[in-house]
Amino acid sequence: MNKKLGIYICHCGGNISDYVDVEKVKKAIENEEGVAMAKTTMFACADSNQKEMVEDIKSNGLDGVIVASCSPKLHQITFRAVTERAGLNKYNYVHANIREQASWAHSDDKAGATEKAIHIVKAAIAKVRYAESLEPIKIKSKKAVAVFGAGVAGMKAAIELANMGSEVFLVEREFFVGGRTAQWDSVCTSNQSGGEIVSELYEKIKNHKNIILYTGAEAESYSGSIGDFHLKIRIKPSFVKSEFKKENIEKAISVCPVEVDDEFEFNLKKRKAIYQNKESEFPKRPVIDNINCTRCGECEKVCENIDFSQKEETVDLHVGSILMATGFDPYLPETGEFGFNAIDNVITLSQFQRLVSASNKELIYNGKKIKNIAYIYCVGSRQSEGENKFCSRYCCTTTIHSSIEAKKKFPGIFNFHFTRGIRTYGKQEALYHESSKMGDIYLQSYENDPPVVDIQNGKTIVKINDILTGTKEMMVEADLVVLVTGMTPRAENSIGSLFKLPKGRDKFFNEIHMKLRPVETVIDGITIAGTCQGPKNIAESVNSALSAATKSFSYVSKGELELEPIVAEVDKDTCTWCGICSEACPFDAIKKVDYNGKAVAVINNSNCKGCGMCLPVCPSDSIELIAFSNKEIESMIKLLAKD
Amino acid sequence: MPVSNKKYAKILVFSTEKISDPAIDMAGLLKLHYPPTVYTIPVPCSSGIKPRWILNAFEEGFSGVFIAADGSDCPYGESCTEKTGHIVAKTHELMKEKNIESARLRMAAICSVCSESFVKQMKSFNEYLINNVNN
Amino acid sequence: MSEKNTSLAFDALVVGGGIAGGEAALNLATNGFKVLVVEKDLSVGGKMIHLSKVFPTLDCSACITTPKVSEISRHPLITIFTETEVKGIVKNGENDFDAKVVRKPRYVIAEDCTGCQLCEEACPVNVPDQYQYGLVGRKAAYIPFSIASPRVAAIDIENCTLCGACERACPTKCIDFTQKPVEYSVKVRTVVVATGFNLFDPVNIPRYGFGEYKNVITSMQMERQLAPTRPFHTILRPGDGKMPDKIAYVLCTGSRDASVGNPICSQICCMYSIKQAQLLMGALPMADITIYYINIRSFGKGFEEFYEQAKGMGVNFVKGKIGKITENAKGNLILRYEDINENILKEAEHDMVVLSVGVLPNTESEKLFVDKSLQLDEYNFVKQPEQLVSPAKTSIKGVFVAGTASGPMDIPDSILSAGSASSEAISYLNNK
Repeated sequence: MNKKLGIYICHCGGNISDYVDVEKVKKAIENEEGVAMAKTTMFACADSNQKEMVEDIKSNGLDGVIVASCSPKLHQITFRAVTERAGLNKYNYVHANIREQASWAHSDDKAGATEKAIHIVKAAIAKVRYAESLEPIKIKSKKAVAVFGAGVAGMKAAIELANMGSEVFLVEREFFVGGRTAQWDSVCTSNQSGGEIVSELYEKIKNHKNIILYTGAEAESYSGSIGDFHLKIRIKPSFVKSEFKKENIEKAISVCPVEVDDEFEFNLKKRKAIYQNKESEFPKRPVIDNINCTRCGECEKVCENIDFSQKEETVDLHVGSILMATGFDPYLPETGEFGFNAIDNVITLSQFQRLVSASNKELIYNGKKIKNIAYIYCVGSRQSEGENKFCSRYCCTTTIHSSIEAKKKFPGIFNFHFTRGIRTYGKQEALYHESSKMGDIYLQSYENDPPVVDIQNGKTIVKINDILTGTKEMMVEADLVVLVTGMTPRAENSIGSLFKLPKGRDKFFNEIHMKLRPVETVIDGITIAGTCQGPKNIAESVNSALSAATKSFSYVSKGELELEPIVAEVDKDTCTWCGICSEACPFDAIKKVDYNGKAVAVINNSNCKGCGMCLPVCPSDSIELIAFSNKEIESMIKLLAKD
Repeated sequence: MPVSNKKYAKILVFSTEKISDPAIDMAGLLKLHYPPTVYTIPVPCSSGIKPRWILNAFEEGFSGVFIAADGSDCPYGESCTEKTGHIVAKTHELMKEKNIESARLRMAAICSVCSESFVKQMKSFNEYLINNVNN
Repeated sequence: MSEKNTSLAFDALVVGGGIAGGEAALNLATNGFKVLVVEKDLSVGGKMIHLSKVFPTLDCSACITTPKVSEISRHPLITIFTETEVKGIVKNGENDFDAKVVRKPRYVIAEDCTGCQLCEEACPVNVPDQYQYGLVGRKAAYIPFSIASPRVAAIDIENCTLCGACERACPTKCIDFTQKPVEYSVKVRTVVVATGFNLFDPVNIPRYGFGEYKNVITSMQMERQLAPTRPFHTILRPGDGKMPDKIAYVLCTGSRDASVGNPICSQICCMYSIKQAQLLMGALPMADITIYYINIRSFGKGFEEFYEQAKGMGVNFVKGKIGKITENAKGNLILRYEDINENILKEAEHDMVVLSVGVLPNTESEKLFVDKSLQLDEYNFVKQPEQLVSPAKTSIKGVFVAGTASGPMDIPDSILSAGSASSEAISYLNNK
């Protein structure tokens, strides 16, 4: 510990020396143990002084340097660079803040400021004595990213990642890509249909040399950490040969005796256990739904392309980063909620969109021609009682858009909007304006007095105490009631559990910080995009997807990651593994290993962020943070405490 | 403030590099004065402060220890506030064992521009220590 | 000092050093590209750096902005030109743009200035401080604001009397009245437009009396009063320095209003007003706060909960449109409004009125490119021809838009939009 130290005390052109007697500081410390040279300087940061420092370090063979000047936020980097230029490892530099925390803070008390400055410099000397040369932790990072979810967010992220130069594995749980966007025909502020958007993105994915797409695929297990994730992917068989004849498949579908609700149509229609992609879904291929298939063998009799011998496959992926874009589920109202499942002409917004899309010329539901449509907003969102306190953001605009589309497509329709206050934010306001101009009726109530859906004389009536007309009771006889259902987190969230992704109050995946790190999760190397993080429209999903893609790419682009060497260290001899440190670590950086026949904790340097949360919880005080060790902190305390 | 020989108590502040230390810097920048016997040791995060360091400070002669915590601004995550709270609670227990008055350890969340609040905290802590603790 | 090289080359030019431009620059630089950020103001940080706290988390805006800003200013691949304007960009071909930028003189040698503020003390000239939105004064030799980056003095030459006091006071002799504008020719391969937005000026709605009644202020002025680097140490009404105890917010000032030429919703005013109301309840526990609104648009993550929280704290929400504001002898303000719930006209007296001003396009973005080749949309924001699938793309291939240059958005959305723009820009740079 016999370091040769060089110390510079800065006047800062008077900013320090007007209040702190810098010469007195110099005298007070120049005889401290190890101090080989001490100087005062007018401007430590000036180019001339920096050059002098390099010379001093070299000619005196200094192995520890202190500059007492302004805040380390301003010039610590500058002086670390100086020590590096002189051939000294930059961690042998310690900064002493005698401007912001001495001369300026105590400009009313020159003696006090000088005393404090002396103590600060002495504490820096104590710290630099123990400073070690450190090298950044370098880890290899596989230039590949796994993207989970092939809706619009996942597909866009995959394409941009591939364009940026990463290898991409796009993993979709369903047999087809397109996600929710594939289920939307007309989407607002675009002339393209949802299907056209999906089709365009799919073409790019199919033809991109850097992207491999897995459909019917789910993550089974994972190990490793940032730069080096190992994933096992399970791929479901489709039980249909990759080469197939269209007419064979059609025959097979017609003979299949199993009929189930078609989820793509939000159960408005039925499908068979063997079925094909919809027009807006890709790839174009038939599949057998293994859960509902009874293996009756009827399809095999008429179709030679069926192959029940297909087995589940597993694939191992090695990636440097993971991007989650697993989307949302539309809210499913409870039975009786605004007459849902109780009154037969009450449907959800998702169903309504499919209905409008599938109907031609006339809008007919349950055999009845639709004239009056009542839209009840905020179903499953902004709940005062239920779990979903949040606003689903997209539904006001989407509903108004769909209602305009319906009115244009089926002349004679009247739209009645039962709202909680319209939220067509930004430019979407134009749509609200257009709808009002077209003669749509807007009514509003508060959450404590929602509209009521009722049957009177065999007719469906929607009643509201409308606050826009001085809280008058208004009544509409509706041929169709559309419940404007919001977005909810995916009900099936095994992937979130697998990766231990934290959720927010709203149960969507949570980012680290909405503004500073909006697409990063506390699991280093895993980013989140699109509606799995919270309600968004298509453009907003794409923005977040591309942000996540950029972030994920930055983890893998160089093939190597450089991490700060300020990490925790475990003393294996005194550690007796209790696991408390591992629980305290927010970054999953502490694991149990075997050491000379006993269990001890070990720090994974690539996950450790150097926060130190594991230090105070250790019962045997076996963990230290580099540069903040007991001896460093306690020797500083000792010097600061001295009179 | 009373003008006497011993008007200042020695206070050790554990600040955090990214959040509260910048606020303490800004207090200086704005020339908001506080007792010059307030010293800071910056650490990465307030939830990484060891109770033994705090006890050590009392043993070495500090009258008070102040944790300028990250609060909800902590870059290492939401659990910081709770964990820092635990450290204070645990340290209070240890202080009790050693007959050190628990009021000599204080904590408050200091955001990165909370200079005024830092200075206020230091003045009132100093006053408390001067009047209540034998220095 | 060596001769300045006025021909420069970068991979990317980012126009605008606010939070969106900064984020885009950082993303590009992190991925190895050399970036020039051009900012017309004296400091980077945009509007965000001046805000108090941000919704819905209530972390302080400076706490979020300043670390980002210092990361940007320290990044070895990022060069920042403050006080610099783009005079015209020409696209010669793919990955080939020529930009002319002019750096205006600061009359201070930035490298030598230590930010000691002695020039400020010495300067005898007092003018309204634009960074405090006119609430207080500043000198003609001044540091823009305490958390400016760079935190370096500048001389406001229009108000300077050339008395020389600052020159004499400066310990590093860094004041230099001989500085001239410098024009740079910059070759770049892609451009990110992050020119931000303008705030609506409420003098355009004379019936609200802004500019005439001293106790009618804008939300940005209130933002400054609430900020940690605020001009007063409390909340004051400008008319007489009294602490207000009955404050009104007028939402949709200059938004959703075709009569002032802005029919669209500004997307942020509901939320920032609710935030200010919550902060005011903390700062002035006895004060009544009323928010007059048309619709409350708390649509983002955690926003609705934040709105509910404000209601729970006792903020009054009145669904009503303000017709006219008049002033009485006490300097209090009488608001005439239509109470929509009760369907009648009412009047209410408040001692301070905050106009929640909306977001207008920064029409400067149209002038960035010669021949106005960068198209704007019908509201004069930068046009997004592929708004859904590639929101960052503009009418010019290789030019991307980030943040509020393309329309109103809040801070998280601006940051995500910047991520999107940088991602598209990186793809464009990689596929030359």
